[in-house]
Amino acid sequence: MLRVGLKRILGLGQELPLPQARQAPSLSRLYHERVVDHYNHPRNVGSFDKNDPTVGTGLVGAPACGDVMKLQIKVDEDSGKIVDACFKTFGCGSAIASSSVATEWVKGKQMEEVVSIKNTEIAKHLSLPPVKLHCSMLAEDAIKAAVKDYHAKRAKAGASSGADIPPAENVADA
Amino acid sequence: MSNRKLLISSLNLLRRRSRPISTLPTNRTPKSDPPIILDHSSRQSAHSRVPKKPIHGSKLDCAVFGRDFSSTSSGLGNCWSCGAIAASKPFLFCDICRSVQPFDQSVDYFQIFGLERAFAIDDTGMESKYKDWQKKLHPDLVHTKSEKEKEYAAEQSARVIDAYRTLRSPLLRAIYLMQLEGARVDEEQTVSDPELLAEIMEIREAVEEAANPPALQQIQFQVKGSLDHWSKSFENAFKKRKFEEAITSIQRMTYYSRINEEIMRKL
Repeated sequence: MLRVGLKRILGLGQELPLPQARQAPSLSRLYHERVVDHYNHPRNVGSFDKNDPTVGTGLVGAPACGDVMKLQIKVDEDSGKIVDACFKTFGCGSAIASSSVATEWVKGKQMEEVVSIKNTEIAKHLSLPPVKLHCSMLAEDAIKAAVKDYHAKRAKAGASSGADIPPAENVADA
Repeated sequence: MSNRKLLISSLNLLRRRSRPISTLPTNRTPKSDPPIILDHSSRQSAHSRVPKKPIHGSKLDCAVFGRDFSSTSSGLGNCWSCGAIAASKPFLFCDICRSVQPFDQSVDYFQIFGLERAFAIDDTGMESKYKDWQKKLHPDLVHTKSEKEKEYAAEQSARVIDAYRTLRSPLLRAIYLMQLEGARVDEEQTVSDPELLAEIMEIREAVEEAANPPALQQIQFQVKGSLDHWSKSFENAFKKRKFEEAITSIQRMTYYSRINEEIMRKL
């Protein structure tokens, strides 16, 4: 329904020739333009092989909307830097936009850095209304879960080779 | 049981309509009322609620009890318009003067449809009951009446719509039951049950990739099976008042309902 609604609103927006007409109250009242942009042109949609040892997968859901969000990171094993990220989200526009933003933000950063990304930053960036804050929360949790999954995999692999793995701190509980 | 009540209450209604107007409304005492409709518990609580003097509370209470007919009251309140004693709960509409009554917080959705407050309901009579209410409460029927009554009709009619919508959907009914029990369903909590989420992800991807209606229908068949399973699981947990389990079931139901909605959109 949201999809149809958004498309209808956007469709209307395109029919109106003047730029200021696009700022029609119905559109600006519903979603910030960044949400609409990420919804229509989501960045980094896709999947990595979840069995790849350099990949961390975060799978989270919000029972309120029945949303499900998968965020994956690809990590450079030597530097601990996130070299790539992707997501797949089935949910509302805000959830899709939040996860899309999250993948953009984690790319090129260290894992310790990304676990400190707060949902409030994502929400502020997208100007999410209070009722949609949990969507950004979901993205924050997905990042943490992905990092945690990566560490867990490494620990498992390391257990056999005897490597020293730092404990995954600041990471969401499963 | 509920069907019998319904039948009796409608018979009761017929009887009342056939009465000469002159005997109405204030000469009636509770004794002359046919002693039906009320079950024992609500009768008791009704008596304890008999107001000695008009209740000073919200505006609504004042509207109900503003005219002092409480000495003859059955405890369910009086019609704000003609003062007749409420014959039964829910008292949304006065059958005597045919005016819509103000919103009453204590009436729940199950009472509106004469159903017992439980997850398993017999919804066969719901549609006709819904139509009956709208024939009495619809805002179009009061357009010549006072602003006050128009407001009541708007409220009551909307509430009946909401009740109908809520009770007919197993998921909404489950959530509503939990609300009535005062159990908070924290919907904003993130779920990280990997097995469930992986399954949901898989089904949603399958729905997305399904090429034709038969493929979708096949997925829908499975999804409905899961929905039934968790509905039953909710029913059991709720009966035993295991609210945590009930909430877990509601979460599962939400996921499968969403998938079903998505399938319906594509079909």
